[in-house]
Parts: sequence; structure tokens; C-alpha cells
Amino acid sequence: MAAESRHKKNRVRAIVLFCVFSLLFILTVPLIPYAIDAYAVNPGQARVEPLAALEHPAINLWNDVRQRDGRAQGLTQVQGVDAGVLINKAGEDWRQFRMGQLAPYGAWFMGGILGAIVLYYMVRGTQRMPGGRTGVRLQRTSLNQRVAHWFTAGVFWLLAVTGLILLYGRFVLIPVLGSEGFAVTASASKEMHNLFGPLFILGVLSMFVLFIRGNGYNLGDLKWFAKGGGMFGGHVNAGKFNAGEKTWFWLVMIFGTALSASGLILVLAGLGFGREVLSLSHVVHGISALLLISVSFGHIYLGTIGVEGTLDSMTDGSVDAAWAKAHHDEWYSEMTGETSDVQGVAGEEHGDTAGAGMARPDTAG
Amino acid sequence: MFEQLVDGIFWDIALVIFFVGILWRIIDVIRRGTRVDLSAPRGSGMPGAMMANIRGFFPRREIAPRVRMKVIGGYMFHIGLLALLFFAAPHIKFIDEYITGFSWTAMPYWGFVITAQIAFAGLILLWIHRLLHPVTQLISRRDDHIGAVLVFLVMLTGCMALAEISTELRVFHRFTVELLMIYFPFSALMHAFLFIPSRAYSGATFGRRGVNL
Amino acid sequence: MSTPLERGVETLKAQIDARVESYFSSCTGCGVCAEACLFYLESGDPRYTPIYKTEPLRKVWKNEHTVMGKLASGLGMSRPMTEADLSDWEELVYDGCSMCSRCSMVCPVGIDIAYLIRKTKEGLAAAGFVPEGLQTAGERALEFGSPMGLTEKSLRNAISALEKEEGVSIPIDVEGAEYLCMLSSAEVVMYSEYISALARIFEAAGVTWTISSKYFEATNTGVQKGDSRLARQLLERVVDVATELKVKTLISPECGHAYTTFRWDGPNILGREFPFKVVHILELLDQLRAEGKLKTTGSFDERLTYHDPCNICRRGGVLAQPRQLLNQFATNFVEMDEHGDMNWCCGGGGGVSSNERAEPLRLKVFNIKKRQLEALNVSTLVTACSNCRTMLEEGLEHYDMENVEVIGLTELIADHLE
Repeated sequence: MAAESRHKKNRVRAIVLFCVFSLLFILTVPLIPYAIDAYAVNPGQARVEPLAALEHPAINLWNDVRQRDGRAQGLTQVQGVDAGVLINKAGEDWRQFRMGQLAPYGAWFMGGILGAIVLYYMVRGTQRMPGGRTGVRLQRTSLNQRVAHWFTAGVFWLLAVTGLILLYGRFVLIPVLGSEGFAVTASASKEMHNLFGPLFILGVLSMFVLFIRGNGYNLGDLKWFAKGGGMFGGHVNAGKFNAGEKTWFWLVMIFGTALSASGLILVLAGLGFGREVLSLSHVVHGISALLLISVSFGHIYLGTIGVEGTLDSMTDGSVDAAWAKAHHDEWYSEMTGETSDVQGVAGEEHGDTAGAGMARPDTAG
Repeated sequence: MFEQLVDGIFWDIALVIFFVGILWRIIDVIRRGTRVDLSAPRGSGMPGAMMANIRGFFPRREIAPRVRMKVIGGYMFHIGLLALLFFAAPHIKFIDEYITGFSWTAMPYWGFVITAQIAFAGLILLWIHRLLHPVTQLISRRDDHIGAVLVFLVMLTGCMALAEISTELRVFHRFTVELLMIYFPFSALMHAFLFIPSRAYSGATFGRRGVNL
Repeated sequence: MSTPLERGVETLKAQIDARVESYFSSCTGCGVCAEACLFYLESGDPRYTPIYKTEPLRKVWKNEHTVMGKLASGLGMSRPMTEADLSDWEELVYDGCSMCSRCSMVCPVGIDIAYLIRKTKEGLAAAGFVPEGLQTAGERALEFGSPMGLTEKSLRNAISALEKEEGVSIPIDVEGAEYLCMLSSAEVVMYSEYISALARIFEAAGVTWTISSKYFEATNTGVQKGDSRLARQLLERVVDVATELKVKTLISPECGHAYTTFRWDGPNILGREFPFKVVHILELLDQLRAEGKLKTTGSFDERLTYHDPCNICRRGGVLAQPRQLLNQFATNFVEMDEHGDMNWCCGGGGGVSSNERAEPLRLKVFNIKKRQLEALNVSTLVTACSNCRTMLEEGLEHYDMENVEVIGLTELIADHLE
């Protein structure tokens, strides 16, 4: 039975990896001709030439017209949003922010988090289950929860990759693909990003409904934070979801909602939002995205190589009792009626998804 | 060069394999025949066959709660894809030019986008469900996954080409379509046509016994 | 001498017809069939998924009849079939499937999965991968005419004892009678009240009937085992005695698969139409009721429900008759939530009851029936199949539900005869 479920897990992993890699392969291979073109035409020089700084003869006039010191709203017969603004500088404000702060600081933030994770892994390694796997399983997530999670995660990553291409492509991809190649990539990314965005809203909503129970903060969470979540040694008590997981849940809810709202405003710009609303939405969208992407690195790390046995809860739906005792002792006690001090659980069948004596498999839906 | 191949010879090959392949599969099933049923019928087979084809679209009340995600995801994907295929403006234009010679009213752009989202959501939900449910983990074959990935790629490349500003993206989309057309007759995707005789055979058998499938 | 694998594969190849081709070509591996199967739902083991049980047949179809399959095996890219591909399925097909056909009712693309399982059994039986209990039942059926080993002498003894005890007359070998009553050995040995009930009902209705001493057995182990040759041999005996006795109609008794075998599959197994009609006893009783020849009196007031035997309702088409009959006198008749064409199987059909190895699994899946009964809180459970009856009684005893009495419908009707 153990060999069978390992074999099954490997099979599923192989299928997922095959599909992900074939997707990546097929999407990047067509861009190779562009890369070759770009390199062949301008070897070592496939860069955007910066504009030379020139002094415009009427610069003072135009500075006044643009009212760089403030926003001038005129009176006009034309109906429509922003119709009374002669030359709108809100977009330029956004562009400055994007190029000067969002992109570079975002890159540093993402890189910093990634680096911290790598460092942590090099020092701490994979956190193993004390005493090793017992073979006794506890049901942790339902099929619906797992489907919702992977749906949201998959859509999130599609949006993250296309979004990052749109934000950083100018710096990272134009040198490789050339301007024409990047134009194609950017157009494709924008279309994908716009289409999949609303699916993310579906995902966040379903995650809220399916995971809200157990994700409310309580006083014990303060203790968890105080002890660093056990990440630097020692044992911390935790219920079904620990304070870290709860924080990730609420971050996703808050910033996911921010992403969704700002994203909808941006994609429905045609409905008549003003330039300032759109610029603000862009700022919110960018910051929320970079924040969530960065924290997701931590989430993915902890859920895969960081802590042994965690991924099971999202693939199989059940976790090993030793994992539960080590990381969620209060939840373990609730499920088994034992305190975590007691060693070993009276023999249940290995490999089955038996929780508290279910009459039917928990796979409805 | 690639563009010429995709718009030219690849398309011809794919079209032939698609239509001939499907026809051949259907004929191959039917020509094998079934033995005449010698028992005295209680009801008639033909109405049974037709009703099974119609009733098959609705899950039975007794199992409906257990298969909700499969049914909802399934309909989202199938109806969405059908609508996209036949009512999206670029597709109608293509069909008019290369196949039928006539066209019909297209969906508005916003309708196209929403339909695509529904179709994508359905397909992704179904595929994730297939990977996580212990039953489908056991009975799914390579064929099922390849079919899902191919259809997803066709839809994704279509989405990528939506702005209609790039020849390369359009060609890429058409290329994935041709791959799907070549794969189609040899795969489980044939259920798109063979569900009709399958439901008919079963419906007729049960109908003769007086049971509504 | 061919190997089990060779025999199995050759037999499976011969099973492939248009229906098999259409079904396997349409299957998308959606898994909806599992959600209707009592073996999967109660055990939680995905190997009992109905379409998975047909793997041996599907593999042969794939290798022989599909371009991808032929290409893969030609290029040496697919794993060739081994004996394990057959033997590993013995438990799934014979212990974990009662051929109830619930799966066939729910498949979105209309696959009659029970039909495919029946054909898969042919391959397993040819290869010799059949549970011991079923194998010996088949041998006894061939030798004695009864899977329980009942001889003509035992039958005659049982009949005369019944006639004395109940004061009824049971005609044997009467030529020219309207009806020939077939019996299951279980009815002779355990539920002989069915036979005396028949005698009383037919006398009141003025119907001529007879039993055959030469061959009385209604059950067909060949069908349960998936052995068409044995099925044919046993059926020939029935047709012979029915023809000899010149009866107009053959009555299939309170037995599930006997009805589908006689009424629906029989002519096709033998390759010719029967020279007589076939009815289930419930069909005949309802017909007599409609003609005014079967009158009941009094009422049965205890809370009761009716268990539909799969082969009679879903696979046989006899759904309304038992209800019409019960409603003549039952005043407190409640239906189980899933009844009629979507009933839950007792777990013992398709040869599972003859298979001792399957008992733990069978009792486990009985939980579905147990929950149905607990929800209704009945004191009486009526059914019309002696195999179901045995399974129900065993299950109720196992779960300490002995407050529920199981009774046959014919017997109950006879108790209320005018």
C-alpha cells in the first residue's frame, strides 16, 4: 500500500512536471528566432538608446501650461472625465514612480526575500519530522479546498509571470529579444494577464469561503510570533493553522482584493475612470503584486522543501501524525483526542485516508 | 518560412487527417456491428436510444451532489469552448474564408472575453480535479492529459494573439490548432462524436427492457 | 496447450463488438461511475471504480483496435500484457462487483459498464481466474443441475414435505400446463414458503402450472462466472424441459439474475428465440391482479419498505409491479430514498454471494443498505429475490438490526389472499 501510494504520487508529480515544462517549452521556443535576430543585428548593443538631453526652446511656456506645480482643471463644454484638463501629468507621475521606485525597489525586495530564503535553507536545511514518519495519516484538507488552492495558485503564477514581463521586460527582455520580439511578448502577456485576471478573483473568493474557518487570529498567535514560529529552533504550539499561515491567508485576502479591484479598474478603463484613478490603481496593483509574489516565495518554500511533509496536505489531503504533532499540536490533539505528549497512535491502516471514521471517501465534488 | 508551412501544407495535412480520421473512427465502430437482440422487447429501442442521448446531458439526482464540480466545470468548459469556436469574430472570419464561404453574427468583444474566461476556468478546474481525485488519479491515462494540455495550449495561444497585432502569434495559434487536429482522431477526444452511438446503444438496450437510461 | 494468459486474451479479443469499441473510445476517465458504485463508496478504494474493473478488456481493445495502441506495441513502446493483468483483476471483478449496473445509469457518455464487466469476466473465466466458491458452484450446477448440489430426489422430498405441512398441492411434470415454474435452490432449501405461496395463489387464480423434476434450477452460474459455454449448457436444459412439457410461459422465480438470464440474455446466449414466453413471478402476479384473478384481503399495517433486486428492476424493467401489488394491502409502505431504477444493491449479486472470500467486503458495503433502513425505521423489509433475501438477513444480523424482518413478496401476498 505504501509502495502504491508513493508510486501514485510520483506519477502525479511526473504528469504535472511534464505539463508545466511542455507549456514553458512551447511558449519560449518560438521566441528563439527573435533572440537570435536581436543578437545578430546588434551584437552586444541590443539596448534602447537613451534620448540625448536637449533644451527645448519653449520649455518655460510648456512648464506653465502643464502646471507642473499642481493640477489645473479648466472649464469646458466637452463632457467626459478629465475633459477639463489640458495636459494631464498624472500619467507621467505614475511613470516616474514605476521606473524610479516601483521597479527597482520591487526587484530589490523580491531578490532580498529570495536571498533570505536561500540563506535560511543553507543554514537550517529541510525541517524534518521529529521521529520520522509514523505512517498514521490525519485528514487535513478536503478535495474542494485542494482544487481551489491549486486553481488560485496556478492562475496567480500565470498572472505573476505575465505581470513581471510587463514590468521588467523593458530591462530584462529587450536586450535579449530586441524591441520587436519584446513587442510580441508584451502583447501576448498583456492579453493573457487581462484574461486571467478575473479568474484570480474567482480563486480568491473561493479560498476565502473554503479556508476562513480556522484562520481567525487568537492570543496564542502572539506567542507563536514571539517564538519566531519555531523557525529558529524550539517548539511552538499551534492550532489547525499557525499564525504564519493565518497571516499569509489575510495578506492574500487583503492584497488579493486590492489586486482584483485595481485590476478591474485598469482593465475596464473604458468605463470612464479618470487618469488619476487609473494611476492610483496602477500603484496599488504594482505594490500588491510585488508584495504577494515575494511572500509567496516563502509560502512555496515552506510548503515544499522547507518543511518535510507539508506538501502532502495539498496533494494527498492528509498529513502524517508526526508532522501534525510537531507543527500543529493543538490541532493534532483535537483530531485524535490525545495530548501531543503521548507517543504512537493505536494501529490504523497505513496509507488510508482514514480520519475520524468517515463513512464515505472525502472526494465528493 | 514557418508561417508559410503553417498556413499552407500543415493546414492541408491537419484538415485531411482530422476529417478522414474522425469519419474512419465512427465507421470503424459502427461497421463492427452488434448481434440482433433475440429477446422479446418490452419497449422500443429507438426512443430509448434518442432519450438516452438527451437525458445523458443531465446528471442523475441521486449522484448529482457528488459530481457537482465535474458537471459544472465540464459544462463551463464545453459550452465556453463551443461558443468561442463558432461565435468569436476571428474564427467566423476564418471559417468563412477557408471552409464554409458564409458567415454569421459574432459575439461582442466583451462576450468573447467572458466566454473565454469561463472556458479556461472550467478546463483548469477539471484538470486540477483530475489530478487530485483518487479515482481519476488511477484511471486517467497519458491520452487524457495530453488532450487537456493540447486544448489548453490552443486556447492560451489564442488568448495571446487576441490583440491581432502580430502575425507570429496568429501563426503560433494556428500551429497548435493543427497539432490538436492531428491528435484528435486517435485520442479520447473522439468522445465528442462517439458519445452519441454509445448513449444510443445503451439507451436502446435499456429501453427494450422498459428502463429509462 | 495454451497458457492462461493466451486463453484469456483470445477470449477477450472475441468479446469486442461495436458496443465495446464505442464505449472504450468514448471514455474520458472522468470517474463519475465511481460515485455510483457501492463498492467504491463504502470502501474508499479507487480500484473498485467500475471502469477500472474493465482494464483487462480495455488493454486488449487498445492493443488490437487502436492506431496508437498498435503503433505503441509495434514499436515496443508499450508494456505487453502479462498474466498479472488478468489475475490481479479477479478480486476486483468477482469480489468487488455485483453487476448491479448502477454505473451504467450514470455514465455521462452512456457506457454500459456492467456490459463491459460481463465481457471482462469471460476472459478471466477462460484464463481460470475465478473465485473458488463460484468455480465449485458452477461444477455442481453442471453435474447436479443445482449449484447447491440438490438432486431430483432431494427436490421431490422437499416438495412432498411441503405439501404435507402446508396442505397444498404442487404439480410436478404436468404436460400442457400454462406455466412452468423455475426455482432457485435457495428457495427449495431455505425459502420454501415461496413455493407453497405459489400453490395457494395459483389455485385461487385458477392457473395451471408445474415444476419440472428433470431440471428445476433457475440460477445460472455460467452467467455469474462469465462462462458463456456453461451458461449455454445450463440454459439448454431449461429450454429442453420447457419444450418437453409444452408450456406457454416460463416463470422466473424470486431470483435476480435468473430473470435477466431467461428474459433478456437467454435467447442471445443460445442464439435463438425461445418457443415460450418468459415472465417474472411479480409480472404474472400483477397481471392476475389487474385481471381480477388475484384478490387480497386485510391489511398489513407494519411499517415496511421494498428492496428492489437490481436484476429485476434496473436490469429487468420490473419496477411498478411490486409496488402495485404491495399497495393492495400494505397501509404503511415507505420507499427508501434511493429506490427503483437507482436502488442500492444488497451487495451479493453477480456471484458475490457464492464467493466466501468476498464476505468481509460484502458486509462492509452493506452499510449503505443499513443507513437506508435506519433512516426509514421500518420493521419489515420486503424483497423479491432469494439471494437478496439471504444477503439482507446476513447483513442485518451482522449489524444487530434483528428488529427488521425480511420477507418475500410472493409469500406476503399469499398471506393476504382472499
